[in-house]
Amino acid sequence: MENKIEISDLKVYYGDKQALNGISLDVYPNEILGIIGPAQSGKTTLLKVINRTLEFTQDFSVEGSVKLDGVDIYSIGDVHALRRRIGMVLPLPVGLPLSIYDNVAFAPRTSGLRDKAELDVIVERCLTQAALWDEVKDRLDSLGTKLSGGQQQRLTIARALSHQPEILCLDEFSIAVDPITTMRIEDVLKDLKNEMTILLVTNLVQQAKRLANRTAFMLNGDLIEIDDTDVIFSENPAEKSTYDYVNGNFG
Amino acid sequence: MNRSELIIQIIALATLTIACVLVWVVTTEVFHVEGEILSVPMGIDSGSDLIDRLYSMIPLLCVAMLLSIAFAFYIEEWLSETTWYYRIINQQISILANIPSLIYGILVICIFLFQVKEFLNFTLVLAIVFLVVPVIIRTTQSAIRGVDLSVREAAYALGANRWQVITDHVFPRAFPKITGGIFTVISRVLAIAALLIIVCELRTSIIQDVSSYEISSDVFVLISLALLSCVLSSFLQINRNS
Ligand SMILES: Nc1ncnc2c1ncn2[C@@H]1O[C@H](COP(=O)(O)OP(=O)(O)OP(=O)(O)O)[C@@H](O)[C@H]1O
Ligand SMILES: [Mg+2]
Repeated sequence: MENKIEISDLKVYYGDKQALNGISLDVYPNEILGIIGPAQSGKTTLLKVINRTLEFTQDFSVEGSVKLDGVDIYSIGDVHALRRRIGMVLPLPVGLPLSIYDNVAFAPRTSGLRDKAELDVIVERCLTQAALWDEVKDRLDSLGTKLSGGQQQRLTIARALSHQPEILCLDEFSIAVDPITTMRIEDVLKDLKNEMTILLVTNLVQQAKRLANRTAFMLNGDLIEIDDTDVIFSENPAEKSTYDYVNGNFG
Repeated sequence: MNRSELIIQIIALATLTIACVLVWVVTTEVFHVEGEILSVPMGIDSGSDLIDRLYSMIPLLCVAMLLSIAFAFYIEEWLSETTWYYRIINQQISILANIPSLIYGILVICIFLFQVKEFLNFTLVLAIVFLVVPVIIRTTQSAIRGVDLSVREAAYALGANRWQVITDHVFPRAFPKITGGIFTVISRVLAIAALLIIVCELRTSIIQDVSSYEISSDVFVLISLALLSCVLSSFLQINRNS
């Protein structure tokens, strides 16, 4: 089985400050890879490298290689097409100043889809997958930014699914979402795994334990350990710091 | 204020000054302003003549506004903020936008008092351009900067290209502020127009004595001081922003 993503010796600098110190890891197709680690460990940075949104930061530099289906992402000419292959959900929802419908239809439209009937199907499918359809189906024309925080986050997830990405990156998606909705979204992720590869950055270690096939533990820009989730959460992971972090007696 | 900032400001100011001197030299040379004052018959005899003339400037005004908005989008979206030419352009616009509109008014009035026919249209055009362009560029720039970075990033992350991000997200969000800038400019232009009409009618009523009229040197001192302090104020504002 071929790897979906191959990262080798990835180093990222913000100005003089190094945020990733040479990370190598592979992501398998159709797995949920949990990424855990305390604040500042470089989890968000890792995701931003993969969809190349790091490029909006001033003064960054990247060394090493990231390959998507065997192709180096920095050699891909059409960065917009690359980004459409990857869905990204940020910790706090960013409502585009558009209606609920247009939020979800935005990405398909940017890639040229104009047919209303097809868009309707996509909008309904994505909102359903994000566990939001029932709540908003009667007011698709109202502004997305007027939804509650948790609803907006689910709208962001629907939006991230709208261009049928091969990879879905979630960065601490549940910060602004209540526990019950979080559970519903987690169920959705378990199903989505059949269609795509999921990178789940989370600061709730139990969430990684519940969902992830494998889990990576990061600390201060280093990848400490990556292994099957069962191993990471067992009594004897390879590194002691992993055990300490997972069991909450860290630092 | 660090050293490179200072150098940028000096370059911006120097190029502006050179440009003004050039305009001055060219106009006085080409139009022979000095010595011919009042020797040419006036183009405008009444307030309503002037209003006609001003109406004919409306298309120019609109074109100037549209180009300014386009230019503001260009420098904000395509030029990187760290390049030296972006910083020089930015500085120049800020100096120009800070010049009180009254100064243009006084300039135009002087030319009206000593009406020189060919000079008249040229001055009106110049005044409109200087009155409109910097202010529109400035307000459009700040409107564009006011759009959340997170909105842009979210749109880019969905695979939108620069044009789609600008037309679908940045422009609609910046639009209200841009219209605000347009109204500021319209008010400046209307105020100057009103002033011109008053001067024009006054002039026709005292026309006989105008030939002996000389502008007091105090006026020039005051205008110079006004320009100086507005340059200072734009320097200070730029530094606070960055
Ligand atoms: N735009 C930036 N400019 C400069 N430094 C940055 C920037 N973004 C992140 N960093 C630095 O890079 C390091 C890694 O940050 P990153 O956001 O990737 O961590 P994280 O693991 O996502 O943390 P958290 O759990 O708090 O979200 C941190 O030390 C941070 O200060
Ligand atoms: Mg983070």
